[in-house]
Amino acid sequence: MSKHPSEANLALYAGGELSRWRRWSVERHVAECTACRDAVAQFSALREQTRAMAELPDVAWDSLAAEMRANIRLGLEAGECVAERSSPQHLGFSLRGVAACASLAMLLVVSFLIERPAPRVAEIKADEAAVIETSGSGIQVKEGGRAMMLLNARARTVEYQASGSAMGARYVDSDTGQVTINNVYVQ
Amino acid sequence: MSMCSKWITAAFAGALALWAQDVPFDPHSSIEIKLPPDSPVALLSTNVRDSGATPRGGAMVIDLHMALSLRNSDSRTIRGITLLVTAQEVTAGGKASVAVPSLNVAPGQAFPVRIDLRLLRPLQAGAGPLVKVSLDGVLFEGLDFYGPNRLNSRRSMTVWEMEAERDRKYFKSVLASSGPEGLQREMLNSLARQDERPHIDVRMSRGGRSVTSVGEPERMVRFAFLKMPGSPVEAIDGWAEVAGNEARTPTIQVLNRSSRPVRYVEIGWIVKDRQGHEFLAGSVPAAEGDLLLPPGQTGRVLQDTALRFSRNAGEPVPIGSMTGFVSHVEFADGRVWVPGRAALSAVMAPSPEEQRLADLYRTKGVGAVVEELRKY
Repeated sequence: MSKHPSEANLALYAGGELSRWRRWSVERHVAECTACRDAVAQFSALREQTRAMAELPDVAWDSLAAEMRANIRLGLEAGECVAERSSPQHLGFSLRGVAACASLAMLLVVSFLIERPAPRVAEIKADEAAVIETSGSGIQVKEGGRAMMLLNARARTVEYQASGSAMGARYVDSDTGQVTINNVYVQ
Repeated sequence: MSMCSKWITAAFAGALALWAQDVPFDPHSSIEIKLPPDSPVALLSTNVRDSGATPRGGAMVIDLHMALSLRNSDSRTIRGITLLVTAQEVTAGGKASVAVPSLNVAPGQAFPVRIDLRLLRPLQAGAGPLVKVSLDGVLFEGLDFYGPNRLNSRRSMTVWEMEAERDRKYFKSVLASSGPEGLQREMLNSLARQDERPHIDVRMSRGGRSVTSVGEPERMVRFAFLKMPGSPVEAIDGWAEVAGNEARTPTIQVLNRSSRPVRYVEIGWIVKDRQGHEFLAGSVPAAEGDLLLPPGQTGRVLQDTALRFSRNAGEPVPIGSMTGFVSHVEFADGRVWVPGRAALSAVMAPSPEEQRLADLYRTKGVGAVVEELRKY
């Protein structure tokens, strides 16, 4: 079996974001390796969850485009009216052109605002309450798609204890020989 | 295309691919450490080596490994310290603390504090520090305290220090009566007890039910109580709602048997599974500022949380019965009561000091423990 791909490459593979050659290489490994296949499945599931949370609200693109075209046309016509009345030939640029430019600028600004990259993970859902849980590597508080974990690094044995709104992990740090007590609180 | 230019193109493409996967991350700018101007500890250095960020799906995993070097700038010996850790952008409602009890840091001496954090956040997030570290409290020899005490670290550190004094006194008496061999036996027993303690995973949520326990009807389970000799407070009745491997809203009635008013009680919570295995699930603390128990009066300690127990990565641990015991009491004048060693059973956790001394024995032998006990 080939060498395990890095976690980053597995994540990119799950999202279909690898180059063709690397995708082929990872695909070949994943077909043989259960652990990597599981990791890819987890990444895919996480990706689906975050995508579901990050979906933009429905926008009626056709009607928006029609409205914007109408605005541009209106701007051009307004420019023509102004030009017919005063015709300031000495200015060196036509008001019709200014109106067209203004409309185009507005179009660009609106397009940018609509199309700007949205965060991949959207706002935390209000109904997702914070939860604390212990695992082999530490205590984690999760809230929506976000999490903070205090790790029990360099611990031989760990004592976990829930108390009120906090969860604690107590261990001896093998580097310093000091007892360390991590607590994570939920409100 | 010549062979040489093919190689150059391939190398360029490879470099480009690697660059695209790199995540720009500066651990120094991600951390803000703030100590008050009159803080009794000074920050000497911060090492964030081995910190890094990795993309995972649509999110970013950030590992922050902080090794802080602090100096005791006070004239008293430090016995413990608690740091408050917040990551507002990552978990709006969450905060954490890192405490180091059982210290013996003389004035002017430096000591390390390690903080290891993992954050999961969206790929695109705001600027500014991700993690803020501040001082919540410092406990000195003689139980003097300094700090804003937002996390009630004064009480926790006082309890740990009183337990440490109790255990050092006990081990010194063993050393005096049975010599290093007797102390060695105590250390071996302690290590064996720690290894035998069952490891249970706990999931906790505030209020309501944490998860549904499929097909398990909900029932009220009554606590049995252990008598703790010398306890100023007695637990007289208590119950919790139990469904399968989940217990919620434990409620315990307590009676102040002492002649002094009590402002805080914590009840240790032992759960027995249906196979008869006991484990320490946690504790039920009185709500802050909610309990002022005059002598002879009863009060109620309750906790609006749901706890779910599992082992071996998700296997539910169904709850059979529950036992409670008074683990510590704080009087209205700030003094604290902790149980004597004789009252402790194997299912209760050893004190932080016993854990430290047993680990010292494991790594350096009984001579190091004897030397350590002589420092106090």
